[in-house]
Amino acid sequence: MDFDFNRIITITLFAATFRMTTPILLATLGGIFSSQTGIFHVGLEGLLDIGAFFAVVGSVQTGSPWGGLLYAMVACTVASLVFAIVHLEMKANEIIVGLALNIFATGMTNFMLVAVLGATGYFQSPLIKGFTPLEIPVIKDIPLLGEIVSGHFPLVYIAFLLVLVVHLVLYRTPLGFHIRAVGEKIEAAEAVGINPKTMKYLGLLISGVFCGFGGTFLSLSYLNLFSEGITAGRGWLALAAINFGEMRPVRALIACLIFGFADALALRLQQFGLPSQIVLMLPYVVTLIVLGASAIHRERRKKVVLKISPEKKDLKLRVGA
Amino acid sequence: MNNHLVSRLIGANLKRFFAEALTQLINYSIILLFGLLVGAMVIWFSGKDPLAAYGALWKGAFGNWAKFADTLDRSTVLIFSGLAAAVAFRTSVFNLGLEGQLYIGTFAAAWVGFTFHDLPRVVHIPLCMLAGVIAGGIWTLPVSYLRLQWNVPVMVPTLMLNYIGILFTQYLVVFPFRDPTATMAGTPVLEASARLPKLMKGSVLNIGFIFALVMLFVVYWFMFKTKTGYEMRMVGYNPSFAAAVGMPVKRSAFLAMLISGGLVGLGGACVVMGFFGRFMSSFSVGYGWDGMMISLLAQNHPLGVFPASLFYAALANGALTMQSQTGVPQTVVGMVKGAIMFFVTIQLFVAFFRGRMRKWILTSTG
Amino acid sequence: MYWLPLCRKTHIRVFEMAIAIAAKNIYKSFPGVQANQDVSLSVEQGEIRAIIGENGAGKTTLMNIFYGLYQPDSGKIFVRDKEVHIHSPRTAINLGIGMVHQHFKLVPSFTLAQNVVLGIEPHKAFLIDEKQVNRSVRQVSEQYKLPLDVEKLALSASVGEQQRAEIIKALYRGAEILILDEPTAVLTDQEAEELFVILRNLAQQGKTILFISHKLREVLAVSDNITVMRQGKVVGTVKTSEATTCELAEMMVGRETVGGRLRNSNTVFGEVILELKGVSVLDDRNLMAVKNASISLRSGQILGIAGVDGNGQEELIEAVMGLRPVVEGDILVKGKNVARTSTRNIRETGVSYIPSDRYKAGVATDAYVWENMIASDYYRRSFSNWLGLRTKDINNAVKGLIDSFQVITPGTKTKTGHLSGGNIQRLIVGRELGFDRASVVIASQPTRGIDIAGTEAIRKNLVEYANRGAGVLLISADLDEILDLSDQVVVMFEGRIFDAGIVDEGIRIRIGNLMAGIEEGCSS
Repeated sequence: MDFDFNRIITITLFAATFRMTTPILLATLGGIFSSQTGIFHVGLEGLLDIGAFFAVVGSVQTGSPWGGLLYAMVACTVASLVFAIVHLEMKANEIIVGLALNIFATGMTNFMLVAVLGATGYFQSPLIKGFTPLEIPVIKDIPLLGEIVSGHFPLVYIAFLLVLVVHLVLYRTPLGFHIRAVGEKIEAAEAVGINPKTMKYLGLLISGVFCGFGGTFLSLSYLNLFSEGITAGRGWLALAAINFGEMRPVRALIACLIFGFADALALRLQQFGLPSQIVLMLPYVVTLIVLGASAIHRERRKKVVLKISPEKKDLKLRVGA
Repeated sequence: MNNHLVSRLIGANLKRFFAEALTQLINYSIILLFGLLVGAMVIWFSGKDPLAAYGALWKGAFGNWAKFADTLDRSTVLIFSGLAAAVAFRTSVFNLGLEGQLYIGTFAAAWVGFTFHDLPRVVHIPLCMLAGVIAGGIWTLPVSYLRLQWNVPVMVPTLMLNYIGILFTQYLVVFPFRDPTATMAGTPVLEASARLPKLMKGSVLNIGFIFALVMLFVVYWFMFKTKTGYEMRMVGYNPSFAAAVGMPVKRSAFLAMLISGGLVGLGGACVVMGFFGRFMSSFSVGYGWDGMMISLLAQNHPLGVFPASLFYAALANGALTMQSQTGVPQTVVGMVKGAIMFFVTIQLFVAFFRGRMRKWILTSTG
Repeated sequence: MYWLPLCRKTHIRVFEMAIAIAAKNIYKSFPGVQANQDVSLSVEQGEIRAIIGENGAGKTTLMNIFYGLYQPDSGKIFVRDKEVHIHSPRTAINLGIGMVHQHFKLVPSFTLAQNVVLGIEPHKAFLIDEKQVNRSVRQVSEQYKLPLDVEKLALSASVGEQQRAEIIKALYRGAEILILDEPTAVLTDQEAEELFVILRNLAQQGKTILFISHKLREVLAVSDNITVMRQGKVVGTVKTSEATTCELAEMMVGRETVGGRLRNSNTVFGEVILELKGVSVLDDRNLMAVKNASISLRSGQILGIAGVDGNGQEELIEAVMGLRPVVEGDILVKGKNVARTSTRNIRETGVSYIPSDRYKAGVATDAYVWENMIASDYYRRSFSNWLGLRTKDINNAVKGLIDSFQVITPGTKTKTGHLSGGNIQRLIVGRELGFDRASVVIASQPTRGIDIAGTEAIRKNLVEYANRGAGVLLISADLDEILDLSDQVVVMFEGRIFDAGIVDEGIRIRIGNLMAGIEEGCSS
């Protein structure tokens, strides 16, 4: 087996990175909203699945990929609403509800694949209208950059734009501040009249919408099909990215790019019969390392505070007048 | 152990066993019923007859002795997985990494199974099981290290190690340890001396199932009758209280993770030695996740894990027959499982609410 | 450092003497306790009114009523001479009442300015007008002379800065009446000084200030009038310029010695059984909660630790029990240094512990009664062997304890949460004292929230234990309890230990002074 790095690391690899990053990124951005309100959303995987499925259904029914996107967003929002009600009104543990959502979503989409679309394993049909790649006018002619940046599906560009939008919303709008206050210090929010439950509902519903986008991308770009397991653990990668980025969109984007690159590279390696699993493991290993490193950093800082002799209040008792 | 003691112990235990079992049975019978109802509705909407479908399901799972035995066999790994989850959850340790621990443990057991030749069965089988336990336990060590040393909550690390475990074993199976003669990616076949002896003709049921049953009682005994198990449960109920009375809180949490990983690894060993015969890269259809659901259904009680595992095994086995006979796709089982989970979460709320009400009443008149 | 009481005397009133806020005949009770009983007070505009009292005086309840967190059972509240009903903090804010709580409510990752404007952020279209945020907060800061680095992150700000931010938060929303709950609890002396200057400024600008405190020196330094509350009632209101510390301390703690003393003043005590040498402990906010505390407890002695809640008592006993790290100092039980060892080890040397919050650290409510009762002793040879727990022996022992400590429970296999609070406490006492093993008993708020019968029983248990030769460390917010049970009393104030001496005639007033931060005694 002889490697030829030049054949493995190509321009298309970088282009593929952007493509592979997109669904993870979309789920991550959505998950950031619920994380920022203090909810650890384990059900992102299930939402992506629902999104992917209903995007196909929508595309077939409306004859347009944007119709598919609409169906996906609605379906995911409904699912998120159920999650929200069970967690916020019935006070069920968010982890368990998230797991339930995953399991139910997988079961439902796999079932409907057979029952509604009449297919086994995967569904592909000329009726599915996918997105068409977008060529950006000036950039596409730039030698290297053009190949990497131009010619992606619209959702890719939307996803990266959304990073900025999410950052703006979270850090520059009142809503963003309210959301973050609820997640970080709920007493402060309540003291000024912000309703934590409302914020949490919002966070969950927005997560749903973003996963709708992400799921749509999975089934309506590149290959216009839906298959069992199409999500391939991206919902979990999103959680890892949110953790890595400490709930900040730009930092999480870095994680998503790393993950996307790992995905793309793995695919490439597979084509050459090289072990792709090691590469696919990388995102998870990296997350672990980052988790450990930031925890170590945090604990070390606490110990330093202890060492620098904490303030000794100088007590001088005074006699009253 | 003198006979007097033994008989007294068994008598007292039996009574308590029945009392607890009854309450649990009623508890989750309702949930299971609701889950099946959801499935029935879905089947009906898709244009098929739910009664016929469920009839076929039942036949597929329990229709004749052979099928019944097969269902029992299928429940083996689920029992282990459920016990693993129960031990962790009872100690309030959110071990979400059972899948990964399962893969690693199973591979280790398989490795011992196909690497060593000319060992008598009596030696080879326990060796494989030991490998499974140790490997599964070892896979929990990074998580425990992060928790104990650096205060990192266990959830995300366990989730990460899931995929790392699955992918790593996948790599091992596709490259270094690949069996070139196999059609699907898998290791060489286990030695005959590493295969679990079957229990009856015409079925895959093997002593692994017996072992699982024994484990049910062992884990029950451990959690409810020993010092360490008691400590772990108290830590699970209220860690501040456990610390104040001097119980080793950190050690209990660590043990819970370790035992959890070991148990599910053991389950994997049994399933590879008893059913699969070799380690294949995607052998688990979610046994780890199923285990978590089973434990939650059983209210994290070791003995309750058995009926729940049986139910899940029946669903899985029966679904195949259901699909071939009535055309209802077996994926409807996934929906039933999901619905059950949702109902479990709501039921938890009911219990929580009842407890809260009582506490409120008591403290206000305290 | 001199507290400038002169300044107050020569202060010139600029505004007319309108009543800013008043309460008339307020009654408020919670299950088991009458928090406010016929409370009336009225505060003039521009006045700085201090509300002082020891634990359970009812001051916090009253302030919470003013801020709309509680509704009074009966009585009226007037703001600017108009009767009002304050349903919620929102209503209070609309009426111009702002509150600064003891535990700040700031979002750590926001800047101080962002915290101030949270909920009412100035914005242009969808985006927050960052410049306006900083500008408007600076404006308030300058107007009221509260120096604030508005762009500093809350987590980097000093405690004093954080408090100023909280005050500005209230002023920003138009507060005319400011309520501060124990404002100097976390401040250094320097910061407290700065706060007083700020408060005087605010009063001069027409703001009305009510603050709760138990520290007399501050109260005397900055207030115009002082209202003393005790056990839910208003004892009286005095003009600060005319008040003496002794008078105030006596008003705070009362002068009667309630009968019911359970100790004989002539007892001879044995050797030192628990000794704390220079112990320092941090609290959850990484501030020094216990400073260089030294205590000696002798065998057969009951040592009471008095003091207003929050002066480090909890942190001290948590450190003794190994539940909180000891930053410096030693803790010796029977001569052995147990600081920085495990809780199990500390208990093994003979220390028993009755925690102050029975639901948090006393029991596991979901566990059975027997599981809770055997929790300190399950690992001993008599209750477990290599096979496991000896259920028969455990059951017998637990039944015995249930009898001797009169725990009312349907059985040993009942869920502990189903028991009443009083019985849960008896359970805990039974567990800790029942096996007669302890040489040191640490009892923290042992009778809080318990019925009379239970209270008597528990007190008797503690006294009997001491009579048998154990040493008892009693921490209680109830001064009467301390005086009834203790042989000797120390007072904790701002993390330090002050000796109030043996329980004699003048003990009450000595404690009163020390609790309020006054070291010099009174003539009476």
